[in-house]
Amino acid sequence: MKRIFWGIVLALFMATGALAADQNQALADKAKVEGKVAFYANMTAIAPIMADFGKKYGVKAEYTRLSTTKFIATIMTEHAAGKLTADVLQAPVSVLQYLKDKGVLASYVSPSAAGYPKWANTDGKIQLFGIEYAALIYNRDLVKPADVPKTYQELTDPKWKGKIVMADPSTHATTISWLVGLNENVIKDDAKWMKFLKGLAANDPMFVASFGPTPAPIESGEKLIGISMPKYIITKAPAPLEWAHVSQPLMGSPRGIAITASAPHPNAARLFVDYWLSREAMNTLAIKVGEYVLTPGVYPPISGIDKAKVIPIRELSDQEIKSWGKEFKKIFARP
Amino acid sequence: MSIRNPGTIFTAPLIAVVGFLTVCPVAMLVLGSFSEGLGAFGTFTLAKYATAYTDPEFIRIILNTVIFTTGSAMVSTGLALFLAYLNNRSNIPFKFLFSIISIVPMMVPHILFAVSWVLLLNPTNGMINLFFRQALGWEGIVFSIYTLKGMILVEGLLDLPIAYLVIAPAMSSFDVSLEESSRVCGASNIRTLLRITLPVLRPAILAAVTLVIIRSMASFAVPSVIGMPGRIYVLATHIYRVVATGYAADYGLAAAIGMSALVASITLIFVYRRLTREGEKYVTVSSRGFHPTTIDLKGARYPLFGIVGLISFVLIVLPVAVLFYTSLVPYSMVPGVKAFAAMSWKHYIGVLKDPVSLISLKNSLLLGTGGASLGIVLSFFVAYTIVKIKTKASGFLESLSFLSFSFPGIVVGIGFMWFFVQTPLYSTIWALLVGYIATYLPYGIRPLTSAFVQIHGNLEESSRVCGGGALYTMRRIVLPLLVPGIVSGWILMATMFVRELSLSVVLSRPGTEVLAVQILRFSEDGLWGSLSALGIMMIFISTALVVIASFAGARLTSVKN
Repeated sequence: MKRIFWGIVLALFMATGALAADQNQALADKAKVEGKVAFYANMTAIAPIMADFGKKYGVKAEYTRLSTTKFIATIMTEHAAGKLTADVLQAPVSVLQYLKDKGVLASYVSPSAAGYPKWANTDGKIQLFGIEYAALIYNRDLVKPADVPKTYQELTDPKWKGKIVMADPSTHATTISWLVGLNENVIKDDAKWMKFLKGLAANDPMFVASFGPTPAPIESGEKLIGISMPKYIITKAPAPLEWAHVSQPLMGSPRGIAITASAPHPNAARLFVDYWLSREAMNTLAIKVGEYVLTPGVYPPISGIDKAKVIPIRELSDQEIKSWGKEFKKIFARP
Repeated sequence: MSIRNPGTIFTAPLIAVVGFLTVCPVAMLVLGSFSEGLGAFGTFTLAKYATAYTDPEFIRIILNTVIFTTGSAMVSTGLALFLAYLNNRSNIPFKFLFSIISIVPMMVPHILFAVSWVLLLNPTNGMINLFFRQALGWEGIVFSIYTLKGMILVEGLLDLPIAYLVIAPAMSSFDVSLEESSRVCGASNIRTLLRITLPVLRPAILAAVTLVIIRSMASFAVPSVIGMPGRIYVLATHIYRVVATGYAADYGLAAAIGMSALVASITLIFVYRRLTREGEKYVTVSSRGFHPTTIDLKGARYPLFGIVGLISFVLIVLPVAVLFYTSLVPYSMVPGVKAFAAMSWKHYIGVLKDPVSLISLKNSLLLGTGGASLGIVLSFFVAYTIVKIKTKASGFLESLSFLSFSFPGIVVGIGFMWFFVQTPLYSTIWALLVGYIATYLPYGIRPLTSAFVQIHGNLEESSRVCGGGALYTMRRIVLPLLVPGIVSGWILMATMFVRELSLSVVLSRPGTEVLAVQILRFSEDGLWGSLSALGIMMIFISTALVVIASFAGARLTSVKN
């Protein structure tokens, strides 16, 4: 009896496995007929993933890169004119949320996301796959090991005066969300958080437009430390960049992926999302680009990141970003 | 069709073509600025204008913008006059260097040029500041780039080619008999320069100033790379800050702010037309002898060349050298033993292996040559109409040509997107071609008008009296005299198109990638090495285009003689 039971279990198991493989094959066949998939995103160096996908399935993956400031404007313009050519979109979760509310996104839950954390997909439309994590990045040639901050608060030490670079906290959405996230997750006491902000402001950081221009002044020694991204340690190697291993968690905005409701190549779109979320693709993303991904056990090759606690911050609405931006503008104004 | 002005038949169709090209995107922006929501179409509202113009910071921003733009115009026009005069009118040695040096900034992606200057002059470890501190023992900061002065310096240099290419053709087709008369009457060279040469060149000088003011108002690279770290905001960066805060960027609001730039530009053009209304005053190439002669600088020859050499070295060679240096080192390093040991061609190899970079090289070359050629044909007719057919309609045409040109770049790109998405051109290379020509038409028209202004009508009349038809006269008389202007306009357009960013970043799609967008991607990722390598390649392409154009121009001129 026991043997029969296990036999049935085994048979069922194999059948589901075969079924899943069959489904995958069927999807791949349909995708091949569609011929290509259009991917709109704003990510660095993902060409290898696009190429691997093309090789594996014989479906051409086309990457359109849109800057964050033009992402919604472009998609909504094309959508309104009935000319949205994108099949799959990748963006910070707030952007996808906006597009979901406008009815641009389709429902899809990929089987590849099975091992992902529960919070990474709450609506069946937007699948989170990574965290755009920020950290204190410093020049390891010029900062003595003893001087490296062990907490975020140490950035307010007057020894860093005139030596910090960061994205403009009155306009850069990610930095604004990060500073607010610090209050919600790390420095929970409002007074202490305010003290941190004022101390940082007193150190007169140099503002740049976004994260992109933050590493260059640290590499060249124009500044010594900054609020920047650990992924630059990979993409800008062999530049002398290192992240401060603070005792507090690292934080960042979650990155999401979704299929458009009007996708011209719906099967290719699903196949692409399945592939994108697979261990294989996420591994490439972590190793080549230094991204922090949600696939269990996959980490970027940056020392200590596998031990670090990396948490997603709450997505702020545009209204919140604007009002916090105004607040930070006052706090960071030069006296 | 009147015999005096056979060109009047051009006016109406030209207004239609130019109007279509420039009005459509701007009209979309106007719609967007009055619409609720984020698109071009929505319920009517004045809220965006209210938000834009009740901002307490706005006055400060306008003030900064005025100082920045007029300062830049002074720097570039002053330098251009100096260089063009020495190059065209004197016997200074190594003349060929001048035209190259005054055009180089046109070929460098502006963002790179600005970054080079940051590496040279940042207060912490800028190379020039380090040099003064270490070699000469000066204390403190010698010069900080992150100031309005720094912004003016760099923008002025970047716009030098615009000023030079407008002034140089006028300088070279100068009727020397005017100066000779002055000297016969006992005036010195300097006095002749101040009392005769400069006043006669007034249309060209004013054209250069107008053009540079308008262009620097729309420029974004210098205000963002140099102004933002110094917390000095001008109109373009103010718009960026408004747009960039939050994810759902409101380009209608951005357009509402941008309208002030449009109004300022149209006012400037109006003023320019008033100041040069009596065009006849500036006619210098008539049927009488036309042979610009050179002034002997005598003992001042080499000292003056030394000054020019020094200016070009500090202002142009150095930043380009920094760029080249950045393209060889693995990351942003201060020069030294370590840096030289680490140099390699890695970034060049990387770029040449990158398929998207290769597509963008091809597309930009195509758009540069094809776009400039088409653009110059259109500019020729427009310039002719503006100068020779002085009707109300031609004045209108002139203002029209500046419409999309005077909008800050980040806004006008969206205008074109809103417009093109309604047409089948969307996401094709034709959208880029049409957009480029529409936006940068003044680069073709300006040098041509300042050249046209100086050709007297009686040259054409003589031809027609002798039985030459309108087209024959155009081909045999007008066109050859315009060669320097045509060459200037073509160079300005071609080099602009090769490095165009504002429209491209919005309109380019897979398969229609262009150089500047690829460069922007590298800069967003902080990959300065690849960015500089691609930038150097871009300079090579532009140099090739300039050399070909100048060579062709020289051949045409010699055939004429």
